[in-house]
Amino acid sequence: MNDPKIPSRSTTGANRAEGLIDPVALMKIKSMELRAKAVVEGFWKGIHRSPYHGFSVEFTEYRQYAFGDDPRYLDWRVYARSDRFYIKKFEDETNLRCHLLLDHSRSMGYASGAYSKAQYAGTLAATLAYFLFTQGDAVGLATFDDQIREYLPPRNRASYLRRLLLTLETQPAGRATSLGPPLQRLAGMLTRRGMIVLISDLLTSIERLERDLGYLCAGGHDVVVFHVLDPAELSFDFTAPALFQDVETGRDLYVDPTVAQKNYRQLLEEHLARTRSVCQGLAIDYHLFATDRPFDLALLDFLQDRMHRRKRVKRIRGPGAGLGSGGAGRAV
Amino acid sequence: MSLLYPLFLAGIAAVSLPILLHMIRRHTRKRVTFSSLMFLRPTLPRFRSRSRLEHVPLLILRCLVLCLLAFAFARPFLARPAASGAAAPSQRTVLLIDTSASMRRTGMWDRVLDEARSVLRDTGPADRLCVMRFDRGARTVIGFEQWETMNPAQRASLVTQELSRVSPGWGGTDLGQALITAAEAIEDDETNDAGQARAARQVVLVSDLQQGSRLEALRAYEWPQGLQLVVRTIPSQGATNAALQLVTKRDSLAPAQAQELPEIRVTNSGEAARDHFELRWAGGDATSETASPPLDVYVAAGHSTVVPAPARPQRQNAVRLVLAGDEDDFDNVLYVLPNLAQQVNVLYVGSDDPNDTAGMLYYLRQAFGTGQALTSHIVHRPASGVLDAQDIDTAHLIVVTDALDQRNIAPLRRYLEAGQSLLLALKSADAGAALSALAGAGPSESQEAEVDLYAMLGRLEFDHPLLKPFSDPRFGDFTRIHFWKYRRIEAADYPGARVLARYENDDPAWLEIPVGKGALLVWTSGWQPSDSDLALSSKFVPLLYGTLEYGGTLPSRQSQYFIGDAVPLPTRAFSQAAGLQVRKPDGAIVRVGAGGQAFTETDLPGVYSIADLGSPGGIVKPEGLGDGRVAGVPPALRGHDARDRSSGDAAPRNLPSFAVNLPVAESRTDPLPVEELEKLGVLLKPTAGAVSAAAQRAAHHRSFSEMESRQKLWRWVLAATFVVLLIETWLGGWLTRPSPMPEGDQP
Repeated sequence: MNDPKIPSRSTTGANRAEGLIDPVALMKIKSMELRAKAVVEGFWKGIHRSPYHGFSVEFTEYRQYAFGDDPRYLDWRVYARSDRFYIKKFEDETNLRCHLLLDHSRSMGYASGAYSKAQYAGTLAATLAYFLFTQGDAVGLATFDDQIREYLPPRNRASYLRRLLLTLETQPAGRATSLGPPLQRLAGMLTRRGMIVLISDLLTSIERLERDLGYLCAGGHDVVVFHVLDPAELSFDFTAPALFQDVETGRDLYVDPTVAQKNYRQLLEEHLARTRSVCQGLAIDYHLFATDRPFDLALLDFLQDRMHRRKRVKRIRGPGAGLGSGGAGRAV
Repeated sequence: MSLLYPLFLAGIAAVSLPILLHMIRRHTRKRVTFSSLMFLRPTLPRFRSRSRLEHVPLLILRCLVLCLLAFAFARPFLARPAASGAAAPSQRTVLLIDTSASMRRTGMWDRVLDEARSVLRDTGPADRLCVMRFDRGARTVIGFEQWETMNPAQRASLVTQELSRVSPGWGGTDLGQALITAAEAIEDDETNDAGQARAARQVVLVSDLQQGSRLEALRAYEWPQGLQLVVRTIPSQGATNAALQLVTKRDSLAPAQAQELPEIRVTNSGEAARDHFELRWAGGDATSETASPPLDVYVAAGHSTVVPAPARPQRQNAVRLVLAGDEDDFDNVLYVLPNLAQQVNVLYVGSDDPNDTAGMLYYLRQAFGTGQALTSHIVHRPASGVLDAQDIDTAHLIVVTDALDQRNIAPLRRYLEAGQSLLLALKSADAGAALSALAGAGPSESQEAEVDLYAMLGRLEFDHPLLKPFSDPRFGDFTRIHFWKYRRIEAADYPGARVLARYENDDPAWLEIPVGKGALLVWTSGWQPSDSDLALSSKFVPLLYGTLEYGGTLPSRQSQYFIGDAVPLPTRAFSQAAGLQVRKPDGAIVRVGAGGQAFTETDLPGVYSIADLGSPGGIVKPEGLGDGRVAGVPPALRGHDARDRSSGDAAPRNLPSFAVNLPVAESRTDPLPVEELEKLGVLLKPTAGAVSAAAQRAAHHRSFSEMESRQKLWRWVLAATFVVLLIETWLGGWLTRPSPMPEGDQP
């Protein structure tokens, strides 16, 4: 899990200095598909695994058996001819069903820079979708504000990806964020277990958040939360006093940032810590992203997290238990 | 530059407000949309440091607006040096001089003239002055226009010369009306002379300001704004002033008592030093010697007492009651004529026995019983005999009840034609012949009417002077008078006859037939009990007295007159064409033309005598005081005494004299507090000597106020304020115009 401390702009700047893809540059690409492709490049083979054991129908290659491989996949015919153990590799058809839940509330439209949180979240969702598609997973999409606005059930077809990416390009036009009703409804809709990726700014009260995330976890889903915040929201480094207007409620508040910043950051940190704590309690992978954070780093964090999760699963299930037929680099 | 209300400059302190507001961060108009305010708490505006004042020009303009406003409220004006000499603003002045009787006190008039000269000295050549005198009313001595036409160098001397001809009269003091007249004169002059409408104006009152002054007129008058009254009081040298007043008898018809003396009220002034006075009779003029022993009267200061006058000396023409013992003698004489009882001669022509209690003469005698104001003398002559011419001449009223001898017709008709009244009561049908003869009509018949039990009066002409006293419904009930018998005549037989009353069957009961200037009054029934109840009714006596009054015998019943009163004159009984003459106490003769109803020139105290110019001789006897008749025949002294006329052919025909006295209020010479005038809304100008420091400040303030109101600099300051305000508005709008790229809302 990420450090709960608020990432600063200097940190994000350092990330850019490492030669990673600058999100600002990336967001200039109009096509969501191209953006996703650019990010996913290099992550062709994921390290995550499906919680279900799949089966293969299409042969791809042989690989020499290594310790730990499932003996069920040994090709006995090859062994009979060559007396060597080879594992027969197939083009997998996985049962992983991933739902991307994208917050399209009005607060997601906030942008202190060139792009909004919603645009960043959309790109992030596209990246994940593309990545998962390339791995053959079925990806669905649901956008919501205080209710579900768009819903695409998980599919694994190339044309479906395009449709999904097009849906992601729509700008948020919702109202206030209210995770409760849409998540509750989704929990009812998703009868089969799968992975749920929630991308939101989570600007709601902690008590509700815990209850709302509980709906998803109760269905046995593997839930990942991407908490997306604007750098200005994280740092609140405004200078001039002004009437701050809540983008969702329209309420005005006179705030002198130089006075209010300290208190703001303190409250925000408390909020983040409690959010993290809630996620931890519900066994949810939690990732906090500032919108200036490069997507590849975000993806890396995600994958690393998934690997750690796999190890956790392995530890829970014991050695040799529950592993699929995929190789070392194949995990869902 | 001076300020009328410098305290308003404290308002400049309000400039701290815009400075304070400029020091406060004010970006409330900038809006920054933010994703959520859930982590934000409202903060208070902070002050900027002094060096960080924003929009300094705007701040300066705003401060300037406040300063200008405070300055405008402080009412600035350019103080000019006090006017002096020729530079002084011209003013309108009315010099109002009291010439009432109280100013006749010793030494007072000289001081009035001194004060007037002082006012004239203070009057500049550019000023306009009007000199007025007043007692009962105000009269202009020198008008504004006349003043303007005078040579400025000679004005003072001309006015002084004019004033030297003025002297106090005998009238009362109507100060209120005089002040109103003066104020109106100034306002009229301002209207006529609009070029100097803004000049200062004042009324200078030179008066003893006595308590007897009438001020009632001021109550209903709004004193003109800015018109100041300067009071120059002439104090009295003596403090003790006693006055005389005749106490009016209320019941004038009460039977006169022998030797009854008039009652006199003696009033002493409130600040009197003496309380012992002497009252005595004196002769008709001031030079007469003391005519009676004095009566000591004791009156405490501020009190009054009523005493019977001392016995009037019988052998002297004493009509003046003189009070001695006080310091001011202008009001020490009271003119009291002997009892005003008037002798009335009634000539009764009829066949009645004077002692017959059922006869008409008996009731006539009873009706004309002697009262205090009237002494009747009834002469009874039989109708069959020839009447004495003297009886006819001296008669105020002739009553005929029977048929007349033909020889009497002509003198009686002459009597009627001269303007007298003759009452013809038809005791029998035979008397109808007398009626035709006296009326000058042709032969007409009168016959006994047939009366069924009794007749009553049905319709009366209450608008006729004879019946007017009965016009009130309380007195107009004649139904209780029953007529057992009456004589029926035709009113149409007598040209000009007016029926005053009719019986129920429309037969005339009472008629008036004009004969020459006189009136022949005809009653178709007698008043004795065998004919009617008239003599026994309450209407009988008033009817007879009304008949007398209708003939002009009883002119007036007012007991005393004061200076300025209009005295009604007897008109009907005397020669209308020639008119009357009234001789005033100073010997002046005033002719009252024909038709004159009253004599108004009662401007001197004393006894006035009236003479009929139409009478033989036509000579007016001077007040009837010096010829011995007054003292010799006391009861009939003031009646018109035709017996005097009979003594000589050339004797004038004297009518009642009347006495005119000083108004009672004029004797109240205690000083009137000048504050009483202020209470009535008169703006007083404090005299220079008595000005206190506060009053001086007030006067300065007033003059500054006038100066400020003339200059009205505050208008210009206010205009400048508006200009600055406009610039500020424009600048403020320009400075706070919305910028295309607000900088403060981006982090």
